[in-house]
Amino acid sequence: MAVSEQAQPVSGAVRGRQRRAREEELLVWPDLVFIEFIAAVLFTITLAILSVLVDAVLLDRANPAITPNPSKAPWYFLNLQELLLHMHPALAGVIVPTVALIALGAIPYFDTSNAGQGEWLSTPRAWPNLIVGSIVGFVGTLLLIFYDASSHVRLYEWVANPGKSKFLSNGELNPSFNGWPDSLAFLKSLRSIETELNWPDALTSIPVGEKILRTDLLGLPAIPLEINVAKVIVEQIIPVSTMIGLPILLSIVAWKVGLAQTKRDHMILQFSGFIAVFVILTIIGTFFRGEGLELVPYTIYSHG
Amino acid sequence: MATGEQPRGQTLGDRLYDFAFKNRVWKSVFRSGYPNTPRNQMLAVATNVFLHLHPTRIHRTHVKITHTFCLGGLSFFLFLGLTITGVLLMFYYVPSIERAYGDILRLETDVRFGQLLRNLHRWMAHGMVLTVLMHMMRVFYTGAYKPPREFNWVVGVVLLVLTLLLSFTGYLLPWDQLALWAITVGTNMVGSAPILGEPNRFVLVGGFQVGQAALIRFYTLHVIGLPLIAAIFMAVHFWRIRRDGGLARPL
Ligand code: HEM
Repeated sequence: MAVSEQAQPVSGAVRGRQRRAREEELLVWPDLVFIEFIAAVLFTITLAILSVLVDAVLLDRANPAITPNPSKAPWYFLNLQELLLHMHPALAGVIVPTVALIALGAIPYFDTSNAGQGEWLSTPRAWPNLIVGSIVGFVGTLLLIFYDASSHVRLYEWVANPGKSKFLSNGELNPSFNGWPDSLAFLKSLRSIETELNWPDALTSIPVGEKILRTDLLGLPAIPLEINVAKVIVEQIIPVSTMIGLPILLSIVAWKVGLAQTKRDHMILQFSGFIAVFVILTIIGTFFRGEGLELVPYTIYSHG
Repeated sequence: MATGEQPRGQTLGDRLYDFAFKNRVWKSVFRSGYPNTPRNQMLAVATNVFLHLHPTRIHRTHVKITHTFCLGGLSFFLFLGLTITGVLLMFYYVPSIERAYGDILRLETDVRFGQLLRNLHRWMAHGMVLTVLMHMMRVFYTGAYKPPREFNWVVGVVLLVLTLLLSFTGYLLPWDQLALWAITVGTNMVGSAPILGEPNRFVLVGGFQVGQAALIRFYTLHVIGLPLIAAIFMAVHFWRIRRDGGLARPL
């Protein structure tokens, strides 16, 4: 049974091995082994030179009593640490990376066509999708970060007050200074929605008690819950809808204008956007977060 | 003697060649002769345990450097380099909060080439995170995750996570301020998960704050636990590349 199956391969599209084209093939020794050898030698030389020139940092001995300001995670986690500043810690620290990794692993199960396989960006709209996805991810994330740092407020006040300063020389507020309108105070940053609006007490402390999260059943201390609607909106609902909604919006727009037509197009668009977001968050977290993790012009705090 | 063409006598070169590559020692080690004929070249790859990760023949487009930029290979190369320098570092390092920092200082000042050793390990670790990320991007943009390679992409994602964890666990070991606080920030992120976050953080750190228990846990994971798992997944990764019919190419 097994033998006869092997003797007569199923015709048509066989999932699995592709037929080999012998005349198109080269010998691994020497053609590939040589390249690998050269790559290894070049890399060894580069690393040796780097290691002779630049020493790995070693700061003072670890001291739990002195918290450096800012404290930063290793650079490849600074993207998550950056997210932490804008949403609920459980989202930024655990849920977003978990979902992102699962989504990453699921890519081949969404995009199952063979189009563009085995060649760099060979489907028709590959490059435009890569470029648009990257730019939107990069710029969009930057704008969101600037918004949360109230940069638009500073920009507005700078434009609305040519040559005027906010404070007089005696330190008092300049009465003729056009500040950000009070009626729009809740748009100063994401957090302002919670702090600048008059939320009724009934909504900011809804007692739920210990009956929902039965952590006592796990042998853990019971957690009495109290729901603050304003906080939930700011820390969870808005971030989640932003992180899910904007990529979907991007895909819909790209689809409507004919930029992304196939699944592969959408994959390239989204993957490029994801990489761009990852890169910009890492850059901001590494170089533009200073004391108290404030947004600062440019700093290298920890070179690890 | 006019009895037609006689085979020429052996030249000195031929004799040296026979001496070098046809003696019992060479043959006992390599089995095939010197790889200067196609047959011996294929045998050289197929009969060598290290080289036989490769097929004996490969499609010509995959030999172009710009197809892979050697990124997967370089990730593996860095992993090997990290293993070698890591073993050497273990000679000088004791994972105790009393000794660790001093051991690194002594490594840098008292051990010949100690600073260089540490630098190499550090830069290779950063480099590996970068090459793995770029390898993932090259696989994506060449559409090499498509059927039948879906599962190898998933194995790749696991390797990415393992690479990050390897780097993260190593970060704590010098026991300086950078190490302590980076790991504190990082593990606090784990602790922020709903319900199970704090218990998980507690297990990871072995206590309420990063101390001796965390150091020995991270050390053990860093030098044996994670490298072993990563090596297993790499074996699967390489095996699957062969099973899936080599690198992806256009249909
Ligand atoms: C420790 C990490 C890794 C190592 C050592 C590694 C090693 C390799 C090597 C040597 C190759 C052969 C071709 C090449 O060099 O590009 C390869 C191919 C491949 N890798 Fe990785 N890899 C790693 C991580 C990843 C990651 C993170 C992904 C994706 C998420 C991935 C997905 C793949 C796929 C799908 C192929 C087949 C590519 C093709 O058919 O063209 N690998 N890997």
